[in-house]
Amino acid sequence: MSIANKADYQNFTLLSYHHIPSVHHLEIFEEAGGYEMMKKCFTLDPEKIKEEVKNSGLRGRGGAGFPTGVKWGFFSKDRNQRKYLLCNADESEPGTFKDRYLLEINPHILVEGMIISAFALGTQRGYIYIRGEFYEQAMILEKAVKDAYKRGYLGKNILGSGFDFELVVHRGAGAYICGEETGLISSLEGQKGRPKLKPPFPAIKGYRGLPTIVNNVETLAAVPWIMRCGAAAYKKWGTEKSPGTKLFSISGDVNRPGVFELPLGIPLIEVIEKHCEGVREGNKLKAVIPGGSSAPIFTAEIAKEVRMDYEDIAQKGSMLGSGAIIVLDETRSIPDILKWTLEFYHHESCGQCTPCREGTGWMEKIFKRAEQGEGKLSDIELLDKVAFNMRGRTICALSDAAAMPTQGIIKAFRGELESYIKIQMKNR
Amino acid sequence: MSEVEKLPKKMIKLKWNDKDLEVPEGTNLLGAALNNGIKVAHYCYHPGLAVAGVCRMCMVEQQGVPRPFPACNAVVAEGIQVRNDTKQIKDAVEWTLQFHLLNHPLDCPICDQAGECGLQDYYMKHGQYDSAMIDKKVHKKKVQDIGCDVVLDAERCILCARCTRFVDDVTKTHELGIVNRGDHAEISVQKELHNDYAQNLVDICPVGALTSKDFRFKQRVWFLEDVESTCIGCETGCSVKISQNKSGAYRVRPIVDSEVNGFWMCDDGRKIYKHLSTPGRLVGPMVFKNSMFLPVAESEIKEKIKSKNIKFILSAGLSNEEYQSFFKEFKNIKNITLYQLPKTGAEFDGILKRADKNCNLRGAQKAFKLAGADSSEEAMKKMLDTLTSQDALFVVMPEIVYDHDNYASFLSKIKKAGLRVALTTDDMRSEFSDFHFLLPVPTFLEKEGHIINYQNKERKLNKGRSYGASDRNVGDWAHLFH
Amino acid sequence: MKKFEFNTANKKKYQELLTHYDDIQSALMPVLHLAQEQHSWLSPEVVAHISELMGIPEIKINEVISFYDMFYDHPTARNVVQVCTNITCSMFGGREIHKGILDHFQLHNMRPSQDGKLYIQKMECLGACEMAPCMRINNIYEGHLTLKTAVQKLEVLP
Repeated sequence: MSIANKADYQNFTLLSYHHIPSVHHLEIFEEAGGYEMMKKCFTLDPEKIKEEVKNSGLRGRGGAGFPTGVKWGFFSKDRNQRKYLLCNADESEPGTFKDRYLLEINPHILVEGMIISAFALGTQRGYIYIRGEFYEQAMILEKAVKDAYKRGYLGKNILGSGFDFELVVHRGAGAYICGEETGLISSLEGQKGRPKLKPPFPAIKGYRGLPTIVNNVETLAAVPWIMRCGAAAYKKWGTEKSPGTKLFSISGDVNRPGVFELPLGIPLIEVIEKHCEGVREGNKLKAVIPGGSSAPIFTAEIAKEVRMDYEDIAQKGSMLGSGAIIVLDETRSIPDILKWTLEFYHHESCGQCTPCREGTGWMEKIFKRAEQGEGKLSDIELLDKVAFNMRGRTICALSDAAAMPTQGIIKAFRGELESYIKIQMKNR
Repeated sequence: MSEVEKLPKKMIKLKWNDKDLEVPEGTNLLGAALNNGIKVAHYCYHPGLAVAGVCRMCMVEQQGVPRPFPACNAVVAEGIQVRNDTKQIKDAVEWTLQFHLLNHPLDCPICDQAGECGLQDYYMKHGQYDSAMIDKKVHKKKVQDIGCDVVLDAERCILCARCTRFVDDVTKTHELGIVNRGDHAEISVQKELHNDYAQNLVDICPVGALTSKDFRFKQRVWFLEDVESTCIGCETGCSVKISQNKSGAYRVRPIVDSEVNGFWMCDDGRKIYKHLSTPGRLVGPMVFKNSMFLPVAESEIKEKIKSKNIKFILSAGLSNEEYQSFFKEFKNIKNITLYQLPKTGAEFDGILKRADKNCNLRGAQKAFKLAGADSSEEAMKKMLDTLTSQDALFVVMPEIVYDHDNYASFLSKIKKAGLRVALTTDDMRSEFSDFHFLLPVPTFLEKEGHIINYQNKERKLNKGRSYGASDRNVGDWAHLFH
Repeated sequence: MKKFEFNTANKKKYQELLTHYDDIQSALMPVLHLAQEQHSWLSPEVVAHISELMGIPEIKINEVISFYDMFYDHPTARNVVQVCTNITCSMFGGREIHKGILDHFQLHNMRPSQDGKLYIQKMECLGACEMAPCMRINNIYEGHLTLKTAVQKLEVLP
């Protein structure tokens, strides 16, 4: 076996197998070292695995950044109780495509991560909820799951360990809100993907009213590496509060868009200049959306200073979210970005909580009125007020996700919005 | 009920704004406030339904909890301090109301809900009178007849999901759902409503989206007064209120009664007001002459019955007090039996409706027993079989009849009596043509009294407005025999 | 009303799907996907059949269908095409491509062509921003589009 066919645990955690051709085949993944950790974990005390994950400081990679070990800590330890492990592969935050990239090349890393996590948590059944649009990726995953069953890595009494785990790939059907963990649960239950009231939290009462852990693809896929190399090694990457590496999806006006696995805390400008080979056509940087469409926009000035970890981004008024970076150069119109953002959230609001149902539509209408040349400068204030009053008032964070970028744009680019309204009025 | 359930619940002390509350353990936090007379704006919460938490109006702050939360999704806990009178919460409520009104049509002047509309009520209290909404509203279907006498106006709907929860959880008939997402979400009906409790939807709809076809446009609600009473539709005896004014009675709605009907009543019960203010109500004794009923002097009746053998068939729908006074006044009469309405429909439908339509059978049986009379059906049949031309038969007619065939067959058997007198709450319908005389008696809404339901629980009938000469109850006609 | 029924192969798949879940309603979405693969859209007949088969009230199925962008309660076509119009794709002309395709084939958004060949749907983020602007043709992603290449790809479809 050549060196190139070995996993590169030195430079990567999540993408450690990505350079290996056809690593989506179980044999090749195994040859490179895959499923070794799973086998080893069956000999460990499940509590030890949880402990290691907790010590690694791994934070939920879906967007909220909640510490995974803490979430697992809320979970029932009763191994005989019916419980579920759900993988959130809904990846629907605009700008995000990291899970797709991870899964379509290396589905087994997730399967291995889920088996280890399920063993640690004592869940008997798991589902990978993958967004409906990712049909090809779902097929790749289904093949991987099937192969894992054949090898005896899934099913009853896995490798004689006495542990049973069934894993199913479940396809969504096109709804952003199903990426919210309780929306995902509703959807898996065969209902509209409407988020559920919290409390109770899913770890206590989730899918079918039973204890449920929902983790992002990237979170679960990080578990085998953490178990292999240890929490301490994982913490060597990243910052104290944001340890480890993260997959960043970078799109927009850069020369080399794509997914990069980088340590948390890396300066944003380094991501753009070094990994993405700079802003396209040598244009000047205008702004960056640092964490998916719901993250407030950064002006170029802030973008040049910010480090890509949960704390620094938050401190500068935005959020790391799913690590989806959209780069905008000097040719871009901010009102366009706002319009597309508002349209999106209006289309995706599930409609149950009044402030979100009505607010998302209202904000779009206010903007569209300005676009028609019927706006007033005071509409910016109105937009800001509507957005403010959508925040923290609903069951889930979609309302906030629509309000925050709106307020962010108003704060960072008010002048451009004002001139837009005036120009549209003139051109009417 | 098990022994544990019988134990009084532990009481929990908490503070809502500046008011100290003490409520049983396990009480919903919003419910605790509402039960203690604190007015809290809310649309989706209903104590008889599962919590939805979607209208976001009942937001509160709690000391030690970082973020505001809806009180409807919390349970009381010892010593908590909750506020909804802070600036932050007031602003939130004001704005959430504004969001509710955003796509709500301004058709209050033609809306039946006006006067008892949640939106109107709170708008007066929390509303921003300078509406910021100049953008176009989302239009949806207006008047749709969705069956069971319910009309849906999708545009007025604020998607509180009370109605969908009702058909999912209470009737389990699942006719209603919310389709589409975002502000295009709307109530959708699968074919049409098909349950016996559909009018409750009208009651629980906090706005004018679901209105009653039976009540639509008949009266403005502020011209009505409610009289609390008990439904006489079946032996369940739901607590109800009847809306009426001087021109008539217009609707029946349930009153919360945890021992009997909880929050609901059936659609049959909604109809018990129909005969109260019909134009043909008797105003005095009548005689059947030349194929029609004409007013008659009491003395004429007195004369006719003088030499006869008096017999009585009572209905099982009188009040306990009426039975008492009857047996007191007529203690010398031996021939008294009871007509029981036949059972109709399922014995019990699992919610409230029962096959036995005699609203006070237990009261009647008790009174008969006390008087030494036989309340059995056999006794009534025996009386019918042995009627002769020497008999003057007085029949106290049931106030509401469901099985008209059975009723007609009963009436056909009384003809052997030489003289036939009906005591009725009703009008002069053709079915009375077999009677020689009619005497008016009060409807359930024209008398004070009590009835005993299937659980042997006593419930009250209250006196409201009268639409007939109804002051004399059955016992009061005793003077005819003296 | 023409009755819908799963074909023999899908009947088998349906039975297998049920084994994946601890309750029948959880299998609803995969069953709807299966029905849509066979019938191309979820007609009232399909809904009626699934309701009867699974014992789920029709309204609950209609709620689900109306909630998700990829379930269709109206006829689609042999080729379902979803064009992304979210931020990154719009930056690189996704909206112009969507409109351009509609104009070129003289179609309306979410209405099948008369010959039953094309059905174009404007979509929110498809999660492939690195290849913006992108679209999906029958579950296959196509990226780095121009209006010209997009039209070409659609023209050669069966």
